Amino acid sequence: MMPLDPEYGPARTIPHPVMFRLLDSEAEDAAPPADIPVPKGAEYAYYPGCVDYYDQEMQFSHLNYGDTDHGIIFDSSIKLLKAVGIEPVILDRSFMKCCGHDQLWQGKLDVFQRMRDYNTRIIKMLGIKTLVTSCAEGYRTFKLDYKLDGVTVKHITQVLYERGLRLPPPKDGKPIRVAYQDPCRSCRQMPVDPIYEEPRDLIRRVENAELVELKTFRADAQCCGVAQMMYCNDKTKGLTASRMAEAKELRVDYLLTACPKCLTHFGCLHHENRWKPEEERFRYRVIDITHFLAERLEGEAVGRPPSVIPEAQDPRQKAAKGGA
Amino acid sequence: MQVEAVRERVYEGRPGFPAEYGPDRQGVQPGYPFWPHEAYRDLVIIFLLCAILLFLSAAYTPVVGPSANPAIQPFIIPDWYLLFSWGLLKVADVLPTCQPPSCQIPDGFGGALNVDGAFWGDVLTLIPVLPIFLLPFLDRGREARPAKSPVRGALGLYGIAFVFFASLYALNDRLLETWPFLTDDTLKVFFVVPPILVGLAAYVGLRRLGYRDMYWWLVAALGAAFALILASGFWAFAIGPWGLDGIDPWTRLLRAFGDPRAWPTIVFGLIPIAYTGVVFYATAALRERKAKEIVLVASVIALFATVGLVKWSADANPAGTYDALRLIATNGNFLVALPFFALITFYVGTRTPYSTYEYLLNECYQCGKCHTVCPVTKVEDDALGGLNLVYNTFKKQHDGVPLWTCLACDACSAVCPLDIHYSDYILEERSKAFASAAEAQARSGVPAEAAK
Repeated sequence: MMPLDPEYGPARTIPHPVMFRLLDSEAEDAAPPADIPVPKGAEYAYYPGCVDYYDQEMQFSHLNYGDTDHGIIFDSSIKLLKAVGIEPVILDRSFMKCCGHDQLWQGKLDVFQRMRDYNTRIIKMLGIKTLVTSCAEGYRTFKLDYKLDGVTVKHITQVLYERGLRLPPPKDGKPIRVAYQDPCRSCRQMPVDPIYEEPRDLIRRVENAELVELKTFRADAQCCGVAQMMYCNDKTKGLTASRMAEAKELRVDYLLTACPKCLTHFGCLHHENRWKPEEERFRYRVIDITHFLAERLEGEAVGRPPSVIPEAQDPRQKAAKGGA
Repeated sequence: MQVEAVRERVYEGRPGFPAEYGPDRQGVQPGYPFWPHEAYRDLVIIFLLCAILLFLSAAYTPVVGPSANPAIQPFIIPDWYLLFSWGLLKVADVLPTCQPPSCQIPDGFGGALNVDGAFWGDVLTLIPVLPIFLLPFLDRGREARPAKSPVRGALGLYGIAFVFFASLYALNDRLLETWPFLTDDTLKVFFVVPPILVGLAAYVGLRRLGYRDMYWWLVAALGAAFALILASGFWAFAIGPWGLDGIDPWTRLLRAFGDPRAWPTIVFGLIPIAYTGVVFYATAALRERKAKEIVLVASVIALFATVGLVKWSADANPAGTYDALRLIATNGNFLVALPFFALITFYVGTRTPYSTYEYLLNECYQCGKCHTVCPVTKVEDDALGGLNLVYNTFKKQHDGVPLWTCLACDACSAVCPLDIHYSDYILEERSKAFASAAEAQARSGVPAEAAK
């Protein structure tokens, strides 16, 4: 964008300049592509958002020997939507742009407006009736900051809840404890249709899962530590750590969230712990709620297995060898 | 010290989220109940004040002077604060009356009330008083600030204008003697038109103060004003009292162009009509900024044109100027009031507020709930000890860094008892910062591509 004061201002606090340069540059080209490879007039459309971009830059993604897999949110969402009888049109990024949430909240209003106008035009052109997102920020942005008259915007948990997602009984009946982090964008920032009950109900539908609430939850839920990809540093990591410590005290097996940004920042801390085995590790899994539900569906497994750390680099194996 | 105390409280390790808010809020609130504590205290104070008044009136009997004598005082008026009631008593003779005993109303005490001017005057006097009793029941909004209760505010200003013009009518005989071109009927219509215009302008201005888009209100109000003033001008010149000579309007209009005594009437009649038309056009068809410039220029031109032309034509053509003044004064409710209404409504309806969220953030009464939940004030050294980050930045207690460190997680808005949306302020301030940076860059002449 523009050179801003690096000491006082957004430049100091946006930690992923490359990714945002890339996303912002999308807004420059306002002409819609010649042919859009999806049918028009579909009832449901699924917008995956920019989750794939994260995996390319984040050091803790499964591409870079980490655990966190953002792309799997997309696979899981499609699998879940199919399980409730929806064949969504996929609004992928070959013809859609980023929804603009981060640009809006970073102050780049003009970039956001260009993205909004472009996306609105494509959505209207395709005649979509219900827009489904798996991202809390996308949900808020499409619902509040866009003017999509006539298009219903829904979070995927709302769709699954309404259509009555049925999950088969688990193969191993081992009880698990599950905590859910309410993303700020889909709960307390929504004046209409905040998502509180839907994800909790979906978690309760898993037979061997016990839903436990973190110390603060629903409208009072503490922030995961970072929003709109700004101001990531040791202090906000402290907030993330305190939130994850709450889950640890509750001895949960899964910490779920409905927002890829929460997943990113929980995953980051999770990964740091993995590379410092001498520190106490958060031993539960941190995944998206769609990933959690899709794992419990029958059928083909979603996603790829986590990449294996080469033996020479694996800190745990090093520690084990050193100990031996 | 303050910072230390807060730091200890913050790091106590408590959850920091009290249970008194959120979806599972309990109905029980801390504090003293209204009954009987507050009621007893208020009763004691009321009795004390009554006792003081009784003592004073018993100890020092007030002197009542001799009654008014029309032979000595040609214009009898009451004290200034009763003028409105006096005016209402005077105007009451427009209402139907009848001679007793054909129509009398039993007064409930065995007697009977005559339906005469005095009866109607008493009833009319209730008009300014009744809303004072009724308003708390009519407008039950939580907030009393004018911008948050525009109906109440507009009615209040309507009442003040009404009382002013009612008081003016109490002096009607004096006014008519001083300015013979005025008529009693014009003064009577002052009871109706100017207060309504004041109330309408106040409503538009207050809604604008509350950040509403008042475009259609402005267009409707100014369009109606323009239509009214056109009709009023036409009526005054063509078919009104001016046209009692029985000549058809068109012929008289053509004749007036050749009549030196008539041209001041035409000129001074056209100035307010044209001015109102310009304001209406600017409001309806132009962007706000452009409309403001146009209205400013038109106002200055109209002001100087009117003053200069009156001065000049009073010297050159006194008879014609007198006719014009008589015509304008007789139709003062429209030809004078509507241009001022157009200008004032336009001004208050397009006024730029100081800063969009300044007004809303000023609602904060520092209860501190937001501080309890703000995650950043728990970890950021700069922000320890204050209220939430946004509020501190707004109050210029920080150098703007916290604006960029806010997570916009909206925990503060969720607990705010006044429902202030802090994250909206964040959105606005950040976009303003970027916009001003872009502007500075454009001003420095460095092309955007090179700056990248």
